[in-house]
Amino acid sequence: MLALLIFGGGLAQTTFAPALRIGNVTPDIPLILVVLLALRRGPEVGCLSGFATGFLQDTAAGGFIGAQALTKTLIGFFIGQLGGRLWVREPLVQIPGLVLLSLAEGLARYLLLQVFHFPGAFGDLMLYIVLPQSIYNGFLGAVVVLTLTTAERLRGGMPWR
Amino acid sequence: MRIRQFGLLVAALGVCLLLLTLQTRGEGATAGQLVGFVTTPLQTVLTKVNRSAVGVWATYLDWKNVRAENHRLRAEVEERQVESLRARDVEAENGRLRRLLALRDRLPLATIAGEVIGREWGWARSLVVNRGRADNVLRMTPAIAPEGLVGRVVEVRSGASIVQLLTDPASTVSATVERTRTTGIVEGEPRGTTRFKYMARDGAAIQVGDLIVTSGLGGVFPKGIPIGRVRSIFDRGSALFHYATLTPVVDVARIEEVLLLTGQTPQDLVAHFSTDR
Repeated sequence: MLALLIFGGGLAQTTFAPALRIGNVTPDIPLILVVLLALRRGPEVGCLSGFATGFLQDTAAGGFIGAQALTKTLIGFFIGQLGGRLWVREPLVQIPGLVLLSLAEGLARYLLLQVFHFPGAFGDLMLYIVLPQSIYNGFLGAVVVLTLTTAERLRGGMPWR
Repeated sequence: MRIRQFGLLVAALGVCLLLLTLQTRGEGATAGQLVGFVTTPLQTVLTKVNRSAVGVWATYLDWKNVRAENHRLRAEVEERQVESLRARDVEAENGRLRRLLALRDRLPLATIAGEVIGREWGWARSLVVNRGRADNVLRMTPAIAPEGLVGRVVEVRSGASIVQLLTDPASTVSATVERTRTTGIVEGEPRGTTRFKYMARDGAAIQVGDLIVTSGLGGVFPKGIPIGRVRSIFDRGSALFHYATLTPVVDVARIEEVLLLTGQTPQDLVAHFSTDR
């Protein structure tokens, strides 16, 4: 189930995300998935799911294979480490948290790709791609967390941390 | 536990860096192709699923839009129908007023146009017209329509008058057969019809369809205002008088405006009315 989730999440970006497009902005579904899995399952699953979804995203999108795998691995690992200390049930935490994480992931990816002489201008990338996508991620992630929390409460199970 | 976690992290990062390095050296294409071999069919399937879902959603949205549009169009049609009815009503009113004004211009006596603001349709049959004492309307003022006689004013109030209709059972009008000049009295009947009575036997030449007009006798109604047409004749053999039932020329049930004749004239007015059958 977990493998299927990771695999599907990795490919969702090129298949389902365009349907969620607002203007020219699409959410980073794999990133949201990695964060949720890392919070729930800890750093190992976070790290592996980050690597797998990032890797699939890289190959499916035809970009630099390994760039998103690396950044999402880091995100998954560190969120998994911090998970217990975050109040992720609060939308006031979820939204800015995911926005900041997305910004950090974008920044990290940019810095990494600079090593490999990626030609994109930093300002344009941040302003037109990373920042709008981060904001979208923040809101979509909050919706997903709230939906999952409500669903689990209704089922009488353990809520999201 | 912690070592395993960090080991995993380092391994993953190492693979990533290795892949990136291989690509910069032009050797990453094979890895990409290998992964693509697995992911491309799945991407195709997922895209198809997504398109179907989006298609269903789009169909639902279309249906919703069509439904909303349908509601809006229905409301618009209703509004247009009401507008059309209003326009037709205004047009009909316009036509009636024009005919009334034309008659008013033709008549050689003073008149006041009045609007019907009320009706009594019970034991008494009358109209309330929005002209009264303030307009110098007097009792017994005749009320006419472009087709002929409506009745007479029986009560004058400050801003309105009560017009007793020809069909009121208490109404009597001195009348004459236009063709034969046979005189008689037109009376209203409780069932809302009128009849021409006290017709002398000499006037037996009266025929169905003959026009009955006011005779001008009695000084209330000017001479020659159409009242009705003979519908049937009741000849009671040796009786001194016989009578005829009439079809009034004015449809008092539908009348909306009247002319009140405030002046008098000795002229025969029949030529001023349209007396076609």
